[in-house]
Amino acid sequence: MRAGGFVFFKTNHMSGLLRWLIAAVVLSAAAFFMGEYHNDVYRKLLLWVTLALGYNFLFGICGQVAFSHFAFYGIGAYSIVIFLFQLHLPFPIAVLCGIALCILFALAVAIPSTRLEGFYLALATLALGQLFIVVLNEGGSVTGGTGGIANYRLPELFGMRVRGPWYTGVIVLLLVFTYSILKRLDDSWFGRACRAVRDNPEAAAAMGVDVARTKVIAFTLTSALAGVAGMVYAFVDNTVNPPIFGIENAFLLLFMVIVGGAGRHAGAVIGAVLLFLLPFWLSPLVGHHHALVFGVLVVAAILFQPGGLIGLWDRFSRSRS
Amino acid sequence: MGPILQVEKLTKRFGGLTAVAELDFEVREGEILGMIGPNGAGKTTTFNVIAGTYPATGGEVRFAGEPILGLPPHRIASRGVMRTFQHNRPFAGLPVIDNVLVGAHTRFAASLWSVVLGSARSDEGQRRKRAEELVQFVGLGELRDADVATLSFGQGRLLEIARALAGEPRLILFDEPAAGLTPAECARLAEIIRGIAARGIAVLLIEHDMHFLLPLAQRVVVLNFGAKIADGLPDEVRAHPAVMDAYLGSHATPQ
Ligand SMILES: Nc1ncnc2c1ncn2[C@@H]1O[C@H](COP(=O)(O)OP(=O)(O)OP(=O)(O)O)[C@@H](O)[C@H]1O
Ligand SMILES: [Mg+2]
Repeated sequence: MRAGGFVFFKTNHMSGLLRWLIAAVVLSAAAFFMGEYHNDVYRKLLLWVTLALGYNFLFGICGQVAFSHFAFYGIGAYSIVIFLFQLHLPFPIAVLCGIALCILFALAVAIPSTRLEGFYLALATLALGQLFIVVLNEGGSVTGGTGGIANYRLPELFGMRVRGPWYTGVIVLLLVFTYSILKRLDDSWFGRACRAVRDNPEAAAAMGVDVARTKVIAFTLTSALAGVAGMVYAFVDNTVNPPIFGIENAFLLLFMVIVGGAGRHAGAVIGAVLLFLLPFWLSPLVGHHHALVFGVLVVAAILFQPGGLIGLWDRFSRSRS
Repeated sequence: MGPILQVEKLTKRFGGLTAVAELDFEVREGEILGMIGPNGAGKTTTFNVIAGTYPATGGEVRFAGEPILGLPPHRIASRGVMRTFQHNRPFAGLPVIDNVLVGAHTRFAASLWSVVLGSARSDEGQRRKRAEELVQFVGLGELRDADVATLSFGQGRLLEIARALAGEPRLILFDEPAAGLTPAECARLAEIIRGIAARGIAVLLIEHDMHFLLPLAQRVVVLNFGAKIADGLPDEVRAHPAVMDAYLGSHATPQ
């Protein structure tokens, strides 16, 4: 639909499934050529890209300003750990319960706030994000308090325990799964309805779009996807603790999408990769002040390049052709 | 033919201001009903109440025999009432063809689940073809993939029409489609509106400009201060003393 959509390979004739498979294999295989440290960085990068893709659908495509994405990531992560190791639920049940929990919370936030102006969703999700951290810190033995929960392991599935670079493969699957769902939605009547709601809600309603319902579905779906990503994250370091799921990271996610180019999958990927890797290069130069550089980047993007880096790329490739 | 839209004693008040007062009229199937009136007469408000954007203060609106007052706008659209806006309201982030496809929103059969699972055959391709035909029909064929920001004002008017048609309406509400168009564009627009009526779609056409409206409409309703002051055939309305009065001093004068 849109030129420059994020495609792994230009293979129109190749069947969709095969294309996804190849992408997954290539991205996973890379993990086997890395040392432990780089593998760790690579995994976090893949998770950030996954989160940015989901958040881009909510913020960039549907136009909803929400700060709860990391709270849902955390709800997913904590719930899988608690359900598995404290309630001793079977693995598939624990996963389903975790997703159900995310959906429940998402509906509880979205249904009242999407009926109001967009500002209230921002407020409600900000509150949820803060509340979640408080609950984690005060959760006693259930959440492990400020120290979180550690010393658990991914249970054996079908007699195997996935670990090392193989677990990177699981994260790649998560990324491909997330992207394929978002891409299908975006290319359908639903994605168009989301963009219409973002651009002009009154006209969208006149065209037959149920504005409130569209917003609630987009919010719930992307929140549930964040929850699933959180479940995968829980077994990356085999530890979950509160700071990861705070508001700072929710803002970083917003920055990634804005700098990369809101509303475009490729933009979300570029923004996530850039802002995730930037601190690694910057910290030798500016120490912990890289947040300042991010701030400048975001302000520059908003003022001078609202299409983000992907928009810049479009202009560049158009002027060359 | 029978009425597709029946408006009875429709009233809309904004605080102390009565924008629409006990308005009665009906649109028959396949006809072009014109609605004229000076600035602030309540024409757009009438549309907004019929389309569900504003709640009515009183009265009744029936579409295809069923009451529709109180339904939300998207439900009214899905029943087959589509509209254009007096001021262009495109979806700025979507190319022309996708703007039109949003108009077809209520006509997609694939459920959200089948979209996510990629399972059921999608009607996306078929809808897209329909939308392309409509873009051609209003004369924007060349601009199918254009950014809406690059459209001229007149092209934006045509996009509004194509988008509304994509919803496969039985009744279409046009709010001053000719406003701001050049005489050549007006002539083309008149042809397009005749073409729409010829497809069996009932048209309710608000227009300021009597020169444009009178040759096009089969019947005309005249509003002033929210109330109907005259209705009838174009020639009758033109000669009506109350209409002459209402338009005296106003910029559009009957010929
Ligand atoms: N949302 C609103 N709130 C308050 N008053 C309104 C609102 N919308 C319209 N009005 C008032 O209702 C009256 C009728 O306005 P309306 O827009 O329906 O007129 P119109 O016949 O479409 O005029 P025009 O030819 O200028 O488009 C005007 O006095 C207007 O100021
Ligand atoms: Mg008006």
